[in-house]
Amino acid sequence: MHKHFVALAALAACAVAGPVIAQTVNDENQVLLSQIQTDKRAIVLKGLQLSQPESAAFIPIYDEYQAEQKKIADRTIATIDKFAANYDSMTEDAAKGILKEWFGIEDDRADLLKKYAKKLERVLPAQKVLRFVQIENKLNTLVAMQAARIIPLAKP
Amino acid sequence: MHALDTRAGLVYRAAPIPETEHTAMKLLPLALAVAATATPFVAGAEDLGLVTDEQILLKQVMADKRTVYAASLKLSDPESRAFWPIYDEYEGKVKKLDDRFLDLVNRFAAEYDSLSDIEAKQMLEEKMAIEKERMALKQTYTRRVAKALPAKKALRYAQVETRIENMIRRDVYALIPLAI
Repeated sequence: MHKHFVALAALAACAVAGPVIAQTVNDENQVLLSQIQTDKRAIVLKGLQLSQPESAAFIPIYDEYQAEQKKIADRTIATIDKFAANYDSMTEDAAKGILKEWFGIEDDRADLLKKYAKKLERVLPAQKVLRFVQIENKLNTLVAMQAARIIPLAKP
Repeated sequence: MHALDTRAGLVYRAAPIPETEHTAMKLLPLALAVAATATPFVAGAEDLGLVTDEQILLKQVMADKRTVYAASLKLSDPESRAFWPIYDEYEGKVKKLDDRFLDLVNRFAAEYDSLSDIEAKQMLEEKMAIEKERMALKQTYTRRVAKALPAKKALRYAQVETRIENMIRRDVYALIPLAI
């Protein structure tokens, strides 16, 4: 799992280093994001301990969820890029714009998890859906913390 | 065991937030208080006992957060006068959500071995509702902070708040077992 976090940190670090560098590693970011998602899928599947019929029902919904999450991750990277580009001379408008985008991302991520938890409730026992959300929350928290290790606070 | 694991990770956890060692040290008691607060709820899974000192510990967490913000935001006197009332109002509302979440964890602990489908659904809905309200609260109050302070300080405030939230989540999630 450490490897995934290093990958994410590298991704975040590239974005924070500046827009030019971020631009040049954009393709690499996509590869890293894809790797993180693949590894996350394996962790979730292992953690859920599903029966075969449950797996068959769960996997297509989860993959759809991951595809939606990927769009949100792309927006997150774009926001980090914007933060990096404005870091040394953050204007009022830039700071407000970043806050707006960030909060929009937070809302959409929470709404997405809720939407897919509802979908999963139709095919899995609620206890397993609860377990899924617990795992998802744990992973998301760890990834967010790891990214925060790299992204500096705005200058006061 | 859980408490030991939590403490073992404290230095690692405290590292990401601050820019100075001073601030990092201020976060240690915060994380310790969180760990101490969370631990009884795991014990609750075994003995279903109610927590007696949670209010004191939560107050400790909130007091330490104040110190973290004071060090991090570097407010001028006029900025301080504008910021702290907003912050205190926000914390008062967050505390109500924390209490709801702790109630939920206690219910989860009490029903852990025989959680029904209906109970699991209700708990999931409650957890998501609390998260949603907490997020809305943070956003609303950050906008208020952005009206009272330069927006880049509001951004910094939201970053620190989110990092503290994540530290608390990480500690609490580590102590709550996954549903069976």
